[in-house]
Amino acid sequence: MTEPLLDVRDLTIEFATERGLFEAVKHVSFTVSKGETLAIVGESGSGKSVTALALTSLLPVPPARYRSGAILWKGENVLAMNERRLRSIRGGQMAYIFQEPSTSLNPVFTIRNQIAEAIHLHRPDVTDIDAEVVRWLDIVGIVNSAQRMNDYPHQLSGGMQQRAMIAMALSCQPDLLVADEPTTALDVTIQAQIMDQLRELKARFGMSIILITHNFGIIGGIADRVAVMFRGKIVEYGSTAEVLRNPQHPYTRALIDCIPKPGARVRRLATIDHDALAESGL
Amino acid sequence: MFSEISRARFRRFRAIKRAWWAFIILTIAFILSLFSEEIANDHPLLLFYHGSYYFPTCCFYPATDFGGRYKTEADYIALRDDPAFHAAGGWMILPPIPSGPQHPYLDMSGNPPSPPSKDHWLGTDGSGRDVLARLIYGFRVGMLFSLALTAISTVAGVVIGAIQGYAGGRLDLSAQRLIEIWNALPFLYVVILLGAIYGQGFGILLLVTSLFQWIALSYYIRGEFYKLREQPYVLASRALGASHGRILFLQMLPNAMTPVITFLPFTLVAGISLLTALDFLGFGLPPPTPSWGELLDEGLQYLTAPWLAGSSVAALFITLMLATMIGEGIRDALDPKSLTKLR
Repeated sequence: MTEPLLDVRDLTIEFATERGLFEAVKHVSFTVSKGETLAIVGESGSGKSVTALALTSLLPVPPARYRSGAILWKGENVLAMNERRLRSIRGGQMAYIFQEPSTSLNPVFTIRNQIAEAIHLHRPDVTDIDAEVVRWLDIVGIVNSAQRMNDYPHQLSGGMQQRAMIAMALSCQPDLLVADEPTTALDVTIQAQIMDQLRELKARFGMSIILITHNFGIIGGIADRVAVMFRGKIVEYGSTAEVLRNPQHPYTRALIDCIPKPGARVRRLATIDHDALAESGL
Repeated sequence: MFSEISRARFRRFRAIKRAWWAFIILTIAFILSLFSEEIANDHPLLLFYHGSYYFPTCCFYPATDFGGRYKTEADYIALRDDPAFHAAGGWMILPPIPSGPQHPYLDMSGNPPSPPSKDHWLGTDGSGRDVLARLIYGFRVGMLFSLALTAISTVAGVVIGAIQGYAGGRLDLSAQRLIEIWNALPFLYVVILLGAIYGQGFGILLLVTSLFQWIALSYYIRGEFYKLREQPYVLASRALGASHGRILFLQMLPNAMTPVITFLPFTLVAGISLLTALDFLGFGLPPPTPSWGELLDEGLQYLTAPWLAGSSVAALFITLMLATMIGEGIRDALDPKSLTKLR
């Protein structure tokens, strides 16, 4: 078996808060191979975004502290890298897409400027930057890209902004794309478009994706494997088909029950009963 | 080159008539003042004598060139009235205000200061020097000083405030305490002390005032960066592999320009009033540098000569009013809420 691209081992992250130490991520381990898509699913506060940011050591230290574990990127521990090495990995090898495209883009620059900045940082050999920007905007499906690239973020719709963010992330040609709730801030129809786009890009460029979401509904067509996070721990980890068909953990079952099913007549939307989960010793 | 937003702001600034005209007047006045030697000077712009042309406003010619006896600089005002000079076919074109800022006119009737007359439109000061010429040169010194002060203190205030706000934590706290201690030093005493040790001069005065002037702006910038560093695009930029310096100055600073630009005209105003105040007290630029504060001081000494205090106060008032109008205009033009109903 080949060495995985990313190998997270026994990662524990704690935060120093006013009320003492808080463990946000507890002994988390998972791997991502080349071309594979891993979905990390969990509710707000389950530690999935903290895990995502830790992958390139982006958490502010302090208050955060990596208590134990290692994050091996191509065999090299990210947590032991110096700032310069980290900067070459961030964006260049591991790129991020964040939840809020409207605030993740700098409001005072055109999207051309911002994608050009990404290219400038990681691909200094590109000479015709404008052509490259247009190429990536075309790839993510922005029509009339040569004109639209001179728009400011506020002139684009939410879906367009997220496409621009994806173009920015992809323009560095990363090996792994970390998509942290990429569709949460978008309309349902746009969500579907963006997910289709990611699926297509994954097939086209053969990159790995870590998809972070609270919505089991969107991972079906894209994720090879699923890690379910609950209160900082991975409570279930396996192939997507297996987990969806036969969830082992009551929390996973509860999450899956939250997906609205077409045709099913329900009086109330299913919610997660934390008290019941706590009573069952979780 | 300029973004659509900047152009819209510039249009809004131009639409504020008062500010736009104040800006034009002050700019033209400053540019003209750079050519003070050609506007108010006792040296002629062009002089013809014995078949050759001379340009005494920019070059030194000894009196011997024009039939004088000594190798010292020629006295062109005496030369103008010298029949021997005209007999030799000499002529000269004097600047529009034919008086220099340093030349004492002691041949007037009565003792100096002498009141406004045809030759000296705003009269002369206690040493018999032309007031109008000194006002013009004083304006130039004041503007140059103030512009330099604005430039230095803005750059220092932005850089220090930005680093403090971006880094936060211990670095910010300790820097803030140091700034507070520094700010608690009595400014005037530092000026007097350093002036006494190193001698009064343009450079040392600029340095000392700059050391204090940047602090106010740095507070604003620090607050602005505290707000900006929590913006998701800063994290997005870090996740893209941008260095701290790049994020600070290329990503965040453009978002923090509003306080910087709004501060500029008011720093300019502060610089001019500060220099005038220091000159008035005698701790500013060394005599005989033409300055408004020194003229104001003379006005206090010669209370019977109201043209001294009157002209310097009027000049100061007009300049500060123009700069303040520009400042208000910029503030209004940059105010994003100016078009909303919520005021």
